[in-house]
Amino acid sequence: MSKSLRINKNNFIDQTIRVSFKFNGQKLFGFKGDTLASALLANDIHLVGRSFKYHRPRGIMTCGSEEPNAIIQIGNDPSSTEPNVRATEIELYEGLESFSQNCWPSVNFDIGGINNFLSPLLPAGFYYKTFMWPASFWEKYEFFIRHSAGLGKSPTKPDTDLYDHQYAHCDVLVIGGGISGILSAKLAAEKGLNTILIDDKNCLGGSTIYQEDDCFKINNEYSNKWLKKEIDNLKNYPNLLIKKRTSVAAFHGYNYLLAKENLTDHLGINERKNKIRQRLWKIRAKKVVIATGSIERPLIFNNNDRPGILLNSSIKKYIDFFGVKSGNEISLFTNNDSTYETAISLNKSGVKVNTIIDIRENSNSTLVKKVQKIGINILWSHTIVNTNGYKRIKSINVQKLSADGENVVGKKIKINCDCLGMSGGWTPMVHLFTQSGGKLKFKDENYIFIPDINKSPSDQISVGSCNGIFELDDLITNTIKNIKIFLDLDKTIYDNLNVICSKETEKRNIWLLPSDKPLSKTKPFLDFQNDSTAKDVKLALREGFKSIEHVKRYTTTGMGTDQGKLSNMHALGIIADTTGTNMGDLGTTTFRPPFTPLTFGSIVGRNVGEFFDHIRKTAIHDWHVENNAKFENVGQWKRAWYFPKNNETMFQAVQRESKAARDNAGILDASTLGKIDIQGTDASEFLNRVYTNAWSKLAIGKCRYGLMLNEDGMVYDDGVTTRLGENHYIMTTTTGGAANVLSKLEDYLQTEWPELDVYLTTVTDQYSTISICGPRSKNIVKKIIPDLDLSDANFPHMSFKNSKIDNVNCRVMRISFTGEHSYEINIQSNYAKDVWIKCMDAGKEFNITPYGTETMHLLRAEKGFIITGQDTDGTLTPSDLQMDWIIGKKKYDFIGKRSLYRSDTIRDDRKQLVGLLTEDPLEVLEEGAQLVEDINKKPIEMLGHVTSSYFSPNLKKSIALAVVRGGKKMKGKKLIVPMENKNINVTITDTVFYDKENKRLNA
Amino acid sequence: MFIINCPYCGERDQSEFSCGGEAHIERPKQPTELSDDQWAEYLFMRKNIKGIQFERWNHAHGCRKWFNVVRDTSNDKIHAVYKMGERPPLK
Amino acid sequence: MLNFNSTIKEEKIFGDIKIAEVEPIIKINLRSKKREFSKKIGKILSILPPTEANTSSGNEGYNLLWLSPDEWLVYSNNKKQSLKEQIDLEDRLFDEISKLNQGAVTNVSDHWVMINFKGNKIYDLLSKSCPFNFNEFKRKKGSVTQTLFNHIDVILHNRDNNELNLFVRRSFSEDLWLWINDSARFI
Repeated sequence: MSKSLRINKNNFIDQTIRVSFKFNGQKLFGFKGDTLASALLANDIHLVGRSFKYHRPRGIMTCGSEEPNAIIQIGNDPSSTEPNVRATEIELYEGLESFSQNCWPSVNFDIGGINNFLSPLLPAGFYYKTFMWPASFWEKYEFFIRHSAGLGKSPTKPDTDLYDHQYAHCDVLVIGGGISGILSAKLAAEKGLNTILIDDKNCLGGSTIYQEDDCFKINNEYSNKWLKKEIDNLKNYPNLLIKKRTSVAAFHGYNYLLAKENLTDHLGINERKNKIRQRLWKIRAKKVVIATGSIERPLIFNNNDRPGILLNSSIKKYIDFFGVKSGNEISLFTNNDSTYETAISLNKSGVKVNTIIDIRENSNSTLVKKVQKIGINILWSHTIVNTNGYKRIKSINVQKLSADGENVVGKKIKINCDCLGMSGGWTPMVHLFTQSGGKLKFKDENYIFIPDINKSPSDQISVGSCNGIFELDDLITNTIKNIKIFLDLDKTIYDNLNVICSKETEKRNIWLLPSDKPLSKTKPFLDFQNDSTAKDVKLALREGFKSIEHVKRYTTTGMGTDQGKLSNMHALGIIADTTGTNMGDLGTTTFRPPFTPLTFGSIVGRNVGEFFDHIRKTAIHDWHVENNAKFENVGQWKRAWYFPKNNETMFQAVQRESKAARDNAGILDASTLGKIDIQGTDASEFLNRVYTNAWSKLAIGKCRYGLMLNEDGMVYDDGVTTRLGENHYIMTTTTGGAANVLSKLEDYLQTEWPELDVYLTTVTDQYSTISICGPRSKNIVKKIIPDLDLSDANFPHMSFKNSKIDNVNCRVMRISFTGEHSYEINIQSNYAKDVWIKCMDAGKEFNITPYGTETMHLLRAEKGFIITGQDTDGTLTPSDLQMDWIIGKKKYDFIGKRSLYRSDTIRDDRKQLVGLLTEDPLEVLEEGAQLVEDINKKPIEMLGHVTSSYFSPNLKKSIALAVVRGGKKMKGKKLIVPMENKNINVTITDTVFYDKENKRLNA
Repeated sequence: MFIINCPYCGERDQSEFSCGGEAHIERPKQPTELSDDQWAEYLFMRKNIKGIQFERWNHAHGCRKWFNVVRDTSNDKIHAVYKMGERPPLK
Repeated sequence: MLNFNSTIKEEKIFGDIKIAEVEPIIKINLRSKKREFSKKIGKILSILPPTEANTSSGNEGYNLLWLSPDEWLVYSNNKKQSLKEQIDLEDRLFDEISKLNQGAVTNVSDHWVMINFKGNKIYDLLSKSCPFNFNEFKRKKGSVTQTLFNHIDVILHNRDNNELNLFVRRSFSEDLWLWINDSARFI
């Protein structure tokens, strides 16, 4: 690249600091302040990728987030490589490595390019039409489609970067740091309001900051000079927070916005260590000012997609801001005055402007006059009918437009150029306004959709060109006038600004420009990224698609990563013209967040790795860790699952623990059970209403098991509740159900039964629960609490005693979930670990064995006790569980009672809980396995499934619980559990396998 | 994420609340006297309106109080908030 | 004597932020809708339960935080209070309120873990994962709020300019503590 495309002037690029980078393996240089795109252009590289469908060569087209072509893969580290990055948005840093996407084997020679010649065979909906059948072939099709449709490559290793979140609450949020945004932010800050100003670039000032021309003056200064002073002055406001390199991704209801701040992406790789890469701001603003500006439109003409074709405003920014010439012989194609600013800038920098092709008949603005004075050739009423050059534009063919603009007339002129600018006018960036729920209205004279202020969903305002006001004087006057009303300001520092600018009077808009060839022989691209042309849209209309949303999906127009920012409007215009509809009636497609793509990292923030989900620990957790426990997740709790000794497997450990608990003594940390303290004069009545059984007669000091239903009669939760005093109970819930039960009970108390005098307070974390079971549990508790009389007469099964361990109060319950004689010690959590250690010491001589949840599950299954959530799934009534005994039939009402005799709940063939024994006592069933009767019947009829299954060391055989259709009446019946490679024969039994007479409770 | 003006605590982020569905569906005082159809009407039937809907909300991560909200489900605009037992506005 | 085992036992400094667990501290949950309640509390604690939402009352010994129209949290300022003194206070409150059907008294000393935050940037730290708007809260000494911090329920009590106490359930406390330690690095 010998010819220098860099000019030696400007204030935005630091030409003293050279930055090296790589593009497709080639080492190149740019300067600090460049974007990847500007650095590539400075190296005369336009061709950066291939289009999606036809694999046509594509070049850099814009200088912002609307870029459809320069979609780049950054880096090749498997943990940090990033696909689909716009070269126009990434700031150049030392060592940047970048690669073209969507081309193979290389961007210069791309095999998929053959699609370009096959394009008559690839019309809109081609994929939908072709790959429909046979359905079984889809997987094969998918393989090829995915390989030829080259989206970038995802990283294959975990992201090692750091991300963060931050909430912010402000009075005023200003989105966009162009001139309207700066004026708005300053007025808000001047009033003393807490203000945040956000801009996605590193440099505030929008396009005005490099607008140095005597056609544009504010208070007799160049507009850029004036604005620069205003920006410099912003730092004097402590109540104004400015966030650069930050882009708003989403504008939700109630002025809740998400914005992504880039903190390290512009730094050299070595400077990034231990720094947050991106921070997602979650902003709640009382008022929002949208000043997102506008995007220049392309023009839709034949072969308008060649490398070297850029938007006119981008050519201007590259020369004025980055000091980069987009070419050495430039032609400009336009329908409006703004292009003449580009011509003036290019001329000032010594770049030759061949010709300006303007579809209008004339224009007499000061800008146009200035260009005419320079001597640049202008072809009025002309259009480009074709462009030439495969990997870079070489020339254009120009012809005169007919008066109605539908045809071309006269002789074709060929003009050579290495760069073509185009401008079809400007589209206000109304995306955020519509994301927030705002409705648009169509402004006919500019062919634009603008926010309808009467249909604004929240306290917000759009100012500047995103509100459809484009000329500097109008824009400033309007912004100040509207902000004054919006922020209720009286007089402002900007009340007497004197603004001079060129005024545009002539307008002409043609959505689809004619060519000398019929439409079917041309390629006027609409969506450059997805390769859809004006032809495709017309085809969709001919095929009967009417809704804009359908046309969009069928043609994929506007579905690329640029989300149709560039040319959705043209698609709408062509549909409106073709169908004879008014554009305002047609409406737009829906703009959805994010406005610009977000990284997954920024969405997740710090909640990765160990912080992915919360970890709840019991007060005894550390002891379990020290004693080699394996843990199980129960909700967010870490519960000790089993305690392997030496090299035991889980099976071996659980067998040992289960046996020890029945032979000697076992100890379990049951602290995770939910505990609710219930007080109040109506506490007994309350329990009557929430549990199925009766509670009024429960004596003080006694415990009772209760079953809680939903109103639909299905079992919801269960647990033991203890009467501590006349009006005082403590309820236990399942571990997983704790929060939901409390909230459900509060709901009934507050809304259905406000007359009840009852208070609920959760004490789950206040008390830790140590459960000691087995024939020798009594000996151990005696040693821990010598003063407590443990005789059956004083302390029978299902009762409780207040006691003390040393100087600390505790509650001891004699209740059992294992069927063994057992005690639960409830003590303030901060003393629990010490009590546990005491129990272990005291139990040593009785061979005490710590056990985990797996052994607990096994022991209760031997006794046929259910676990809600394992044996139940929200579709079983107490009767289905063979627990009719727990229904207080005499009670007038309780939650779910009426549902217990609905026609559906009294059916005989409901799934019901049964026990299962396998023919082979050593065969342990898989939980979840299906049960069938007739293995040969087709389709095979599934009668139920296994809910719990274990090998019982105490019974020396396999046992299981299952739910089976009509199971209650099937005792003794033989069923089959069909598995992948065998059928297991089982017999339906009673649900209680061990100690049916409950002798061991009092042993 | 909308903001809900809890009648007890004031304006808070939606994430502090949980929604309890349609409001003003009173639990029948004498369920045993209802037919299956009548009970099913209470148990299962909900309106799920597009537009102004009366809903129950719970300030679950705040004061734990239940209250009613009048919300336009088409745009999430909250028109009124009132305590349990209070007369609904607009209705 | 049993050993007291709190969860965090640490004090950390990150720039100008200082965070530390403050335990053992007695905490008692109070519930009531009765008229006599306020008077009885006044007699025992020498402070009246605040009726205004999101506020607290307090004296040298105790703080009374508003949690809802019928719920308050009492906590002591005295780390050196003996267990016996704590139990005596709980018993007195229980006897006067619960036993006389004036409401409910529940000891929640070990249900909550109290963490003290000090420094200029504590609200920036909280706002990393707290949707609550602290603009009013931080200006008003004694302010109370219940909200979510990193999706975990917390009670916050503004003690002074740039100083607050945070209450988190014991089982979540270690998780939240580690999360705070991680996030505070980036303040």
